[in-house]
Amino acid sequence: MSTSPTSKNAVVGKTRNQPGASDLVLEDVSVRYVGRREPALSGLELTIAAGERVGVAGRTGAGKSTLAMVAAGFIPRVVRAKLSGRATIGDVTLGGADAGALLGRVGIIFSTPANQLSASKLTVREELAFGLENLGVARGEMDIRIDRVMARLGIEHLAEREPFALSGGEQQRVAIASIVTMGTQLLVLDEPTAQLDPGGSASVGRLLDELARDGTAVLCAEHDPAILGGLDRCLVLDAGRAIANDVPGRALSSDHLESTGLIPPTLVRLAEAAGLDAIEAFHHNAVARALAGVDAARLDRVAQTRGQEIPDSTLLGARRHVRLAIEGLAHRYPTGLEAVRGVSLVFEPGETVAIVGQNGSGKTTLVKHLNGLLRPTDGRVALDGTDIIGTPVHELAATVGLVFQNPDDQLFDRSVEREIAFGPRNLGHPEASIRRSVVEALAVVGLEASRQVNPYDLDLSLRKLVALASVLAMDPAILVLDEPTTGQDDPGVRRVGEIVDAAARSGRTVIAITHDMEFAADHFDRIVVMRGGLVVSDGPPTEVFAPERAALLASAGLEPPPAARIGSTLGLGSTPTVPSLIAALTARAQPTAPPGGG
Amino acid sequence: MSTATGYYRTGDSWLHRRNPITKLLAVALVLLATFLLPAMILPVIGAILAVVAWSTGLGRAIIRALRIPAVLIASIILINALFFPGATTRLVSLGPLAITREGLTFGLISAGRLIVAFFVLVTFLFTTLADDLLESLVSRGVGHRIAFIVLSAVQMVPRMQDRAGSILEAQQARGLAVSGSLRQRVRALVPLVGPVLLGSLIDVRERTFALEARGFGARPGRSAYRVVPDPPSDRWFRLVLLVAIIGVLALAVTGALKR
Repeated sequence: MSTSPTSKNAVVGKTRNQPGASDLVLEDVSVRYVGRREPALSGLELTIAAGERVGVAGRTGAGKSTLAMVAAGFIPRVVRAKLSGRATIGDVTLGGADAGALLGRVGIIFSTPANQLSASKLTVREELAFGLENLGVARGEMDIRIDRVMARLGIEHLAEREPFALSGGEQQRVAIASIVTMGTQLLVLDEPTAQLDPGGSASVGRLLDELARDGTAVLCAEHDPAILGGLDRCLVLDAGRAIANDVPGRALSSDHLESTGLIPPTLVRLAEAAGLDAIEAFHHNAVARALAGVDAARLDRVAQTRGQEIPDSTLLGARRHVRLAIEGLAHRYPTGLEAVRGVSLVFEPGETVAIVGQNGSGKTTLVKHLNGLLRPTDGRVALDGTDIIGTPVHELAATVGLVFQNPDDQLFDRSVEREIAFGPRNLGHPEASIRRSVVEALAVVGLEASRQVNPYDLDLSLRKLVALASVLAMDPAILVLDEPTTGQDDPGVRRVGEIVDAAARSGRTVIAITHDMEFAADHFDRIVVMRGGLVVSDGPPTEVFAPERAALLASAGLEPPPAARIGSTLGLGSTPTVPSLIAALTARAQPTAPPGGG
Repeated sequence: MSTATGYYRTGDSWLHRRNPITKLLAVALVLLATFLLPAMILPVIGAILAVVAWSTGLGRAIIRALRIPAVLIASIILINALFFPGATTRLVSLGPLAITREGLTFGLISAGRLIVAFFVLVTFLFTTLADDLLESLVSRGVGHRIAFIVLSAVQMVPRMQDRAGSILEAQQARGLAVSGSLRQRVRALVPLVGPVLLGSLIDVRERTFALEARGFGARPGRSAYRVVPDPPSDRWFRLVLLVAIIGVLALAVTGALKR
């Protein structure tokens, strides 16, 4: 997805010279939450003009959400915190404004789609009317405004649907539309795509383009480079301070990110290596052309992106090998929904398998069968040839460790250490072994320093690591991860990737559901693509992400990772990962090597 | 995902079409009559409710919902039957314990009242869209905060049930045995309660944010898009209900005076 920022320079120029009547202007803004020593934001300067789209990047806890709350006028009115400096939208001051004054000027969207809706309306049309009702708009005018916004944002077809029956991506678009219907000039989004599948994320990205064209300003905190790269500017935050505010290609360059622990997105890294002007870093074709002309030797350093090493641990040491087989599995829910419709897969010990597909394709239903949480309507699941049908879930937990997507469904104890000990204790491990498992699991996820901390004092990305550690400590032979990278910042994703690698080296099987194709290609031997409850593609990343299979992948609502798309553009064959892309470029550059397919 | 609309069951019965305020009055009448009038009236109320429930086509669903207070109702009958203070007429002796006539009568009456109350509330929730209730309350001058609390209360239980389901699964996946002896089951509750409550709080917080962002209650002079049905017959209906409520109150007061 390489959306070209239109009239970017003109807009940036305008903001620098004459602030408009509806611009967001932050001058020396600092925020400190009650009871916290460190400020969440300090000395922030930011101006956003009409029609401008600004992204906010940074690690978890860098202040992205706080900035979103300030811009939306939520601090201190809704969220208790001390705001200093000057924050205004047009002539309204944000810090003290009563809610009424901000209505129609600014609106905010958060990441959980279902929670963005009023949750009481029967149709999308009524949902969109909710904001207008609160504004006191005359009933006769409502339909006109609603129809106009739905047409503009391309969601007319949803008008009479039930909001709670929509997909996450559709719900987010309805939520955005409901804010826009109110005549909002600034739309603030706090990780709007964090819980969406790739198709849903792309649709939200296109919506943001559409909005800016009509003059709505956008402030969007995000991790997804595909979204950030399509915006006009990007602000990078580190520990509450702005360290870059530039076009996305430059703001997300290694020069700026080095101190933050973040790694530039793949396209930016490739552009840098190819010597391309950073302004073009998110233009897919420009990056491909530049790479085609560059000396292959320069590309070597791009391939090296190793992060923290996982310490040696018996948890990731040798383990009894278990072979998992799914045979003709089908599952029908009591509602009549057939979520899985005949799937057969074998997982050999030590294999790493990523299951990808749109929301609703049956991925989660499938993996819930692996530890017996769901029982098949048809078919069976076998561990080393034995059907698991008679074994209770809590016994299967010793062999198959399932980590859920939402850590908050799992964490309950008062310290990280006790939380991690919970699983092994349930399994009846001896005390000494529990203590050892806890220490090792903490080391594996890099949370040794947080032993005594209450899990809920950690942010989401660290809570996800605690949940992972709590399952690792049970030492399962098969590790099943449901969306391990959502809500995780870049270093977190790398950490999870290294744990996957280490677990596989030790002979454990790792099965992960993921929406992140790059993560899937980088760390998994095999990719299983699901669509409508069936497996439609199954093979190593080079096969599944090969240019010939792009149409099949698209039919499942997916896109190959960036490196694969560059390789495809350059006719290099299948290059799902950056190292494979560089290898293909190098091979083509060498006169002795056979021509690389194009 | 029926949780988003609370307990509402889509339908087009005569009860669905009544104005929420009318139904609210009817609920009040039934509750008052159930708890203030002599227990003899319970079978009558029960019969009327049953006819009403069946006429909406939701009879089965409502009966199924009675599973929820089943344990509570059974224990009320049992405890009263066995331990009613001052009871003298023994019906069945069970070693040191005995089922007494007074206890059993009191237990059955209390249970009957509880069942009727639960039944009428469930019928109300099943046939009333939370949003219509909210709209009618706000249009009759109820503050938006109170309306939001009513709305949340209606939606909270189904949401919590949903969440409790996922939490139960997550803990079983960590080797928590949820079946077995009573002691084991009670111990198994500990890791479930925290996340359920905390998750609900996070949920409410996020939803409050969403309503804030849409300006709910931010300005006076709210308008309405959806027209909540209020057919002329409802006005008559409400008048009858009001008269009946006054009648019940009068009966209760005079009855109490006579005693």
